[in-house]
Amino acid sequence: MRLLSRRRIVAFLTAAVCVTGSGWTNAADGTIRLGWLSSLTGPLSSAAVAENQGVQFAVEEINKAGGIGGRQIELITYDTQGDPTKAVNFAQRLAFVDKVHFVIGPVNSGESLATVPIVSKAGIPNLVIGTIDELVDAKKYARAFRAINTNRQWIEAANDYVLKILRKSKIAIIGDTSGYGTSSAKTATQMLESAGVKPVYSVLIDPNKTDLTDEMNKAKAAGAEVLMPWSAATGLLARLLNTRGDMGWNVPIVGHSALMAPAIRKLLNKPEYWANAVAAGYVSTTYGVDGKLPANTKALMERIRPKLGGAEIDFMFWWVALGYDTVKIVEHAVKTAGGTDAAAIQKALENTKALKGSYASYSWSVEDRNGFPDHDIVMNQANSFKDGAYRAAK
Amino acid sequence: MLSALLAGLAIGALYAATALAYNVMFSTSKVLSVTTGHLSMLGGVFGAWLMADKGLPIPLAVVLSGVIGAAFGWATELIAIRRVLARSDEHLWLLSTLALATMVQQAVGLWWGTEPKPFPRLIAQDFSAGMADQKYWLPVIVALLLALGLELFYRRTLYGKLFVAMSEDTFAARARGIPTDLLRSLSYALAGAMGALAGFAAGQLTFAYFALGLTLTLNGFVALAVGGLGSNLGALVGGLALGVLSAIATYTLGGEYQQTISVGLLMLVLLAKPEGLFGSAKTRPV
Repeated sequence: MRLLSRRRIVAFLTAAVCVTGSGWTNAADGTIRLGWLSSLTGPLSSAAVAENQGVQFAVEEINKAGGIGGRQIELITYDTQGDPTKAVNFAQRLAFVDKVHFVIGPVNSGESLATVPIVSKAGIPNLVIGTIDELVDAKKYARAFRAINTNRQWIEAANDYVLKILRKSKIAIIGDTSGYGTSSAKTATQMLESAGVKPVYSVLIDPNKTDLTDEMNKAKAAGAEVLMPWSAATGLLARLLNTRGDMGWNVPIVGHSALMAPAIRKLLNKPEYWANAVAAGYVSTTYGVDGKLPANTKALMERIRPKLGGAEIDFMFWWVALGYDTVKIVEHAVKTAGGTDAAAIQKALENTKALKGSYASYSWSVEDRNGFPDHDIVMNQANSFKDGAYRAAK
Repeated sequence: MLSALLAGLAIGALYAATALAYNVMFSTSKVLSVTTGHLSMLGGVFGAWLMADKGLPIPLAVVLSGVIGAAFGWATELIAIRRVLARSDEHLWLLSTLALATMVQQAVGLWWGTEPKPFPRLIAQDFSAGMADQKYWLPVIVALLLALGLELFYRRTLYGKLFVAMSEDTFAARARGIPTDLLRSLSYALAGAMGALAGFAAGQLTFAYFALGLTLTLNGFVALAVGGLGSNLGALVGGLALGVLSAIATYTLGGEYQQTISVGLLMLVLLAKPEGLFGSAKTRPV
């Protein structure tokens, strides 16, 4: 008798939910399955480990607050180890075995090139966090939405800084021989040329090359007034700074955000070798003239700090903010779409305008899948790292 | 150009030391272990850890790095070589040593981190020393000392002569009562210590970086093939030549041709003189 009563109560409650929560058409579906492809180990793990902190924290926060429309998020994480082959296998697993509602990642562009078509073909919304331009295309991959800036946005910001702020036009472009370094250097050269500036020297260097004296001597002999390195290899960038310092050549270095990675500090022969170096960064992790971070960043930083050990943050905080925001974008999309129907999610994201996050404010449209606005990029002083953020370059 | 040559010589010395380590292991086992480059990686990483993180004095760090390299060499023989050689004449050691090399690299990456880390200065010297900087000449000196020491070891010591005997004919050596299993283990430990010392000496040049191993395994092999398998002089010449040629190619053609040069050199030598510059041609008994 008692059991029967309980059943009646459950049936009543279920009916009530169906009637009152008619907007949540999938409320009875259970959890929202969120696939997360992250290179947590392997040669490119630094950013992914930090992003993972943000992703996990956002999931935890949302679930503690009751989930999205009453549905808890189930996070399914796979470590791709930075290997495109593994990333493809895990993307297929997420799509066809785990049957996730969303895929975030992978972290690296090389992996994303391989997985975006697979996730797209499966019709699953994919939040892309790789920077190379080819990763998103509204026609080819209708449900792939980029949350990070594009590589061109970084390059454009750096070029603008050199041409308009430093007012230098004798530029040496330095790329590394990886796919990313090669294509970035090529894009940077093309963008400079379209602005009417032909680099005085261009070179591609093996990221593990142990000595850069000759490349630097050649750049100097060519009359370079600015060096623009487009490489994510911290070892190479540190050698560049060391060689410049050892040569006593105080030429400005302006380029990739890895130029200000905290890992570089330890690789420098002398700390002062990091001066006069400027890198593309973000408004969200740049101290204002009042010495404070934007409110959203600061709020997230203080909430997550205990999870990161409670002390000063010793890595680039924007990775955490980006990871956090990807889950918040999922929350926004599900709320707007009223569920996890993929077509409705696509429509919800296409109509998203200036969604305020901790890392950036995002806007997508029917034609444009790049959600990161140009105005959220800023140039930072490479040696100004403090508690996860930077000062703006002068 | 001069600085390119100097940097080429320095990194070439590391290739040469790797080739020497290949030779020592090959002499007793006829195996070209994929873990060879990882010996130097371990020397660099553990050297940096012992000095920078643990604050040990340089001499003690040198000795401990050598011991760690020797222990890894010994473990390689025990885990990836002994049982494989006992059960099969096929080249399955290629897979077993590749597996071990991958595991070690992953383990070091997880523990040490995947970004390069600094290697402390070994001798007080200002960074403005230019071409006289210790990072260029330390690896060259250590490679030369290793080659010289190895020659003396082979010519002047009983164990060295036993190594040579084993390299000539393992079965005959065993028939004469030589403990071949023990000697093989010793040769791997010796190679491990040599590789680690070379990695330690070149630490300022390469940084302490977990992914260095496979690059050295490849380039050390090219140096060995160019110089001639089994020849220590060949290993030295092959390594230095490879380093200098790569540097010249990078200087004149650009960095994207660096790997092409090393593999191209290997193919060229294999086609023109398969036994290498200083190797002895094998005669097939009829």
